[in-house]
Formats: sequence, structure tokens, C-alpha cells
Amino acid sequence: MDKRTNEEWLADLRAGGDRQAQALEDLRAIILRGLPYAIAGRLDPNSPESEALVEEVVQETLMNVLKYLDTFEGRSQFTTWAHKIAVRAALTELRRVRWREVPLPEMEMDEDTDSSYREMPDNQASPEEQVSQAEMMKRVNHILMEELTEKQRKALMAIMEGFPLEEAARRMGTNRNALYKMLHDARLRLKKRLEKEGLTPQEVLSVFEKVGK
Amino acid sequence: MKIKQFFQRFFNPNKQKTSPGGMPEKQSAKMQKMLAMLSNTREVELTCDQVFALLDQFTELAAQGENVAQLMPLVQQHLDMCEDCREEYRVLESILHGTA
Repeated sequence: MDKRTNEEWLADLRAGGDRQAQALEDLRAIILRGLPYAIAGRLDPNSPESEALVEEVVQETLMNVLKYLDTFEGRSQFTTWAHKIAVRAALTELRRVRWREVPLPEMEMDEDTDSSYREMPDNQASPEEQVSQAEMMKRVNHILMEELTEKQRKALMAIMEGFPLEEAARRMGTNRNALYKMLHDARLRLKKRLEKEGLTPQEVLSVFEKVGK
Repeated sequence: MKIKQFFQRFFNPNKQKTSPGGMPEKQSAKMQKMLAMLSNTREVELTCDQVFALLDQFTELAAQGENVAQLMPLVQQHLDMCEDCREEYRVLESILHGTA
């Protein structure tokens, strides 16, 4: 039976005994119907890895549903809330597996600026445009160096490289929520510094976009 | 790593394709990605945990055709900024559509 109201789900899951066991069994079936949407395009659904992942995620989800039952506020269908927990568990594991072989970009910084910015602009740009690009890159890079901590630069670089926040956080010994906060602070600092220098992100971008047009 | 190498890794790890605009494609894409993020940055933003707490409600409202960007603008803004949360939203959305 999966046509329970929210209140019925809560009552059954809190009841203990056979009533709770039946509710968990029904919830398990519902989660199993949703998980293929999380796996699709990320893992071969017929692989042994997929089978193991599904079992692991279902177990974890049911445990978390019971653990966090009191936090459910009834703002959605109970089953949507449960799917949400399952999706988070599944994607966390899928990201870990997908990125496990990819090292987090490493870097050490120094202030040794040189004339190498001339290498950065593309040859299709006119000499004037190349100078504008090089100057802007140098300016932006100095701002990155001056405004951000090494951790913030590392995190920003990882995200630019396509690392999931969750996985970057795990590698950096923190959690996704804390890393988002750190990156938010970094973005705010960069944005304010650009504004202080009389620049907007759009203006910086336009220096690069107009080249070759 | 020198500042030049940092910048090259940041915006140009592989000098391969060139975009129509003239900059190497990956470099240009990263620059655009970072600047777009800066452009969308707000003084106050929800964190991943705060968005997770609201994601089921947000997804149901979106599935019902509600204007969620207007109803829950901070959640929408976070989803625009955070690829992890956006991915989770999209999967949840597909589950609601597929299993409804």
C-alpha cells in the first residue's frame, strides 16, 4: 500500500512491530521505483555495481527516513521527501565512484608574475585585443591571488574543473555545505573587489567575448 | 606552481580547441563560468543544507506548474549556482514525472 496520507506514513513508521515493518517494505518498493532515475546515464543499470548501489542506497534511505522522521514538516508528499533522501544518497555514491580516480587539482602559489600573459591570448585576436585580454587576465588573476585564501582558490579551481562540490569537499576534509559557504564568501569577495576596481563580471567577460568578432 | 601556471590551469589546462571568440574553448568556458557565477552571486544565499530541506516542496510546486522562481527565489538562485543541488533537483523532478 503506497496511498497513505502523510499522517498515515508517519503513524505507521512510528508504530513499531509489524505495522512499521509493512510501512518500511512499502516505502522500499517506492524508493526502488525512483532509483532508476538517479542511475540513468550514470551507471549501467544491469551491472553488478548498480545492483549493489541500489541495495546500499535503499538501506541508507530507510535508515535516514526513520532517523529524520521528526524533521518532516509535511510541506510535500511524504514519498517525495523520501525520494529526496534516496536521490541524495545515490548521487553522493555515484559521484564518489565516478571521480575516485581523478585527483583534485593541486597547486602552490607564488607572486612570481612575469610576462607570460602574452602567451594567453589567442592568435586570432588583433594586437590591441591581445593586449586587452592579457591585461584583464593579469588583473583578474591578481585579484584572485589577493582576495582569496589558498583553500578558496583550490575549491574554486576544482569547481571550474567540473568537480562536484560534494566530492571536492570530501577530498578537502570538509562537507558540501561548508564548502558552499566558503565559495560563496570567495565569490562575494571577488565580486566586491571587481566593483571596487570599477568592473562588473559582464565587463570583464566582454573583453574576451568581443575578440575575433 | 607559478602564477602563470595557475592561471593556465585555471582557465586553460589544455591548449586545444579554439572558440569562435578567439580564446581557447576550455579557457573561455571556464572564464565565462566563473564570471557568470560572480554575476549571479548574492549577498545572502541559501546553503546546500537549507536547499535540501526545501527541495521536495520546491520540486512538487514546479511539477504542479507553479512559478517556483517567484515563489522560492532563493532556492532557485542556489540551484542556478550549485551543480550538485541542481542535479539532485533534476533527478527528483524526473522521479515525480515518471512515477506520478
